[in-house]
Amino acid sequence: MDAAFRIEVETLARILDQLDYFQVLELEPDATPAQIKAAYHRKSRVFHPDRFLQVAGAELRAQILAIHKRITEAYTVLREEERRRAYAAAVTGPERERHLRWTVQEGEGPGPEEVGTTEKGRKLYGAALLDLEAGRLDAAERNLKMALVFEPGNPHYARKAEEVAALRKASLQAGNLSST
Amino acid sequence: MSEGIAVGIDLGTSNSCVCIAEGDRPTVIPNEWGETVHASVVSFLEGGAVLVGNEAKRRMADDPRNTISSAKRIIGRYFFSEEVKRARERMPYEIVEAENHGVRIVVRDQLYAVPEISALVLKEMKELASTHLARPVTHAVITCPAYFNDNQRQATRDAARLAGLEVLRIINEPTAAALAYGYGRGLSQKVAVYDLGGGTFDISILELGDDVFEVLSTAGDTYLGGDDYDDRIVDRLVREFRDSTGLDLTQNRWCLHRLKEAAERAKIELSQREEVEIFVPQLCKDPSGKVLDLRSRLTRREFAEMVLDLTQRTFKVCDEALQSARLTAKDIDAVVLVGGSTRMPAIQQAVAHYFGKAPLGNIDPDHVVAVGAAIHARELMGKGGGKTVLLDVTPLPLRVATVGGFAETILEKNTPVPIERSKIFTTSRDNQEKVRIEVLQGESSLASECESLGAFEFSGFRKAGRGEVEIEVVFEIDTNGIVNVTARDRDTGQQASTTIHLSSGLTAEEIEQKASRIQSTPLARRQAG
Repeated sequence: MDAAFRIEVETLARILDQLDYFQVLELEPDATPAQIKAAYHRKSRVFHPDRFLQVAGAELRAQILAIHKRITEAYTVLREEERRRAYAAAVTGPERERHLRWTVQEGEGPGPEEVGTTEKGRKLYGAALLDLEAGRLDAAERNLKMALVFEPGNPHYARKAEEVAALRKASLQAGNLSST
Repeated sequence: MSEGIAVGIDLGTSNSCVCIAEGDRPTVIPNEWGETVHASVVSFLEGGAVLVGNEAKRRMADDPRNTISSAKRIIGRYFFSEEVKRARERMPYEIVEAENHGVRIVVRDQLYAVPEISALVLKEMKELASTHLARPVTHAVITCPAYFNDNQRQATRDAARLAGLEVLRIINEPTAAALAYGYGRGLSQKVAVYDLGGGTFDISILELGDDVFEVLSTAGDTYLGGDDYDDRIVDRLVREFRDSTGLDLTQNRWCLHRLKEAAERAKIELSQREEVEIFVPQLCKDPSGKVLDLRSRLTRREFAEMVLDLTQRTFKVCDEALQSARLTAKDIDAVVLVGGSTRMPAIQQAVAHYFGKAPLGNIDPDHVVAVGAAIHARELMGKGGGKTVLLDVTPLPLRVATVGGFAETILEKNTPVPIERSKIFTTSRDNQEKVRIEVLQGESSLASECESLGAFEFSGFRKAGRGEVEIEVVFEIDTNGIVNVTARDRDTGQQASTTIHLSSGLTAEEIEQKASRIQSTPLARRQAG
């Protein structure tokens, strides 16, 4: 391994937490899926830890691993068009530092305000979430069905309804059907 | 560059194979009888030695209680799992429960953890290679089904350590096969690897580039393999025998084993011939004490019809993998077949029909995985010239259990590895000192339907009001597909200490103890004649 590469690794590892995914992959924020994939391959060729398994220096290997993990992370977020757009907006906004890395948000997915398009639908969905938390599965299912009447095909409602149906089935099998 | 000798080992449910890549061509290593495929069967002899391989398989009928086969079906599984339940019903050896829902096999009054059985198979592979090369083998790349979860991968790695091998990597079998197919050939193709092993089915879709092999998706069924095809023949033989004699052969494990052998033989012969005769002499006695033989015939066409639904099940899994990769069957440039079961003409025809092109014919489905593992081993030892970078994925969603019995997704399936993703948890009580997180792997959004990888308890946070401490939990999947979980205080960066509950795996001490037992167990050699 040459000295220049060693310095590149050390530098990159040091500033990794300040870089956004576009900088990690050396891409423009409007990069196309093909460009994103090509960048992932190009970077992997350089930084894949497999290439350095026998290289002396545990610290250097750890730095290379950290860099490659970030390359993979950047790829998995940016390759989804919707995520790429949301991410690009977040890192150009005022809270850039907090949004540099994609984390899983707390809670059970988006709340009613973000997913509903009608007031009735949002209300019913919110009620269903509360029912669900309280273990009232029958009521949750009823409310979700109603919500779907107001907003047929809303994917969030449909997915939640599926979850509840699966949960009901499981609890029926376990023989402890909750009362409403 | 490391000075050790590294091999690739395909540790299969039914058969294993070892290969070394040195010089120009990888060499599949034969035993002293010239055999290159070795049954993954361990027979414990009187006096403490063990016999491993095809000779051990021959002892299954004579010494069923002390001859262990198909350990891979239950490796890394909890005692309460469906797979262990099934094995307890079907296997002639005794399976008992250990601490933390672990599994032990009782042989000659001794308890063996499942990885110990696999370790003895690996030890035999290591010995074969060391003898063949006249140098001690030290390192290995070991393969596992792509669809293996974290518990199964850890148990596989434990097995290799018990056998005294330094594990360079646990690599997915289809990925290894793709490497064997495309390594150094400068291809630019989309490849499907259809891997029907003895006990599992895997499909992986890869994009092979000049020097980067990217796995786009993988899917599998850990309950479907060549054994299920044999069982269909067994069922038919049992039915025929009952109709003609009124005797139920399923009540006797020895009889069942003989039928199973005959069924496997018939299946293999049907790959060469249109029709086979099945003859099992002196199978059992009727109530009057008369010794009965079993005779039957089976045509290729009949067999194909009997197993049609099994083969169709594999294509459901293929659909899923293609969909994940956002491809259709006609986008695939080449189909690689892996596993002895893919020699069945019925499967080859069905695969050709599904993908609209004949699978590649010049690849040995029994060797290709070990060959790929050996090529990767050479790369990882720094002796391959860094020609190919492998980018693999995790086969199952990684989740955490949430309120109400749900399982929230942290990392989706088919996410490339190595990777980490974090989730922020906030404390829900004043002065909360501990956070407990149950980590799961599985397709279902219900926690109870996922595989538990263990409950992690993080402690040592600063004392503060509820909601004031933000704990960042980092979930990492490494290049082996193995999961690590750590946590830290988001503001102070203080690392939390971790305790793991509920994990059926072996502890470091257990590994050390068991390693000395495995390494001091002598391997018996087959006698001539």
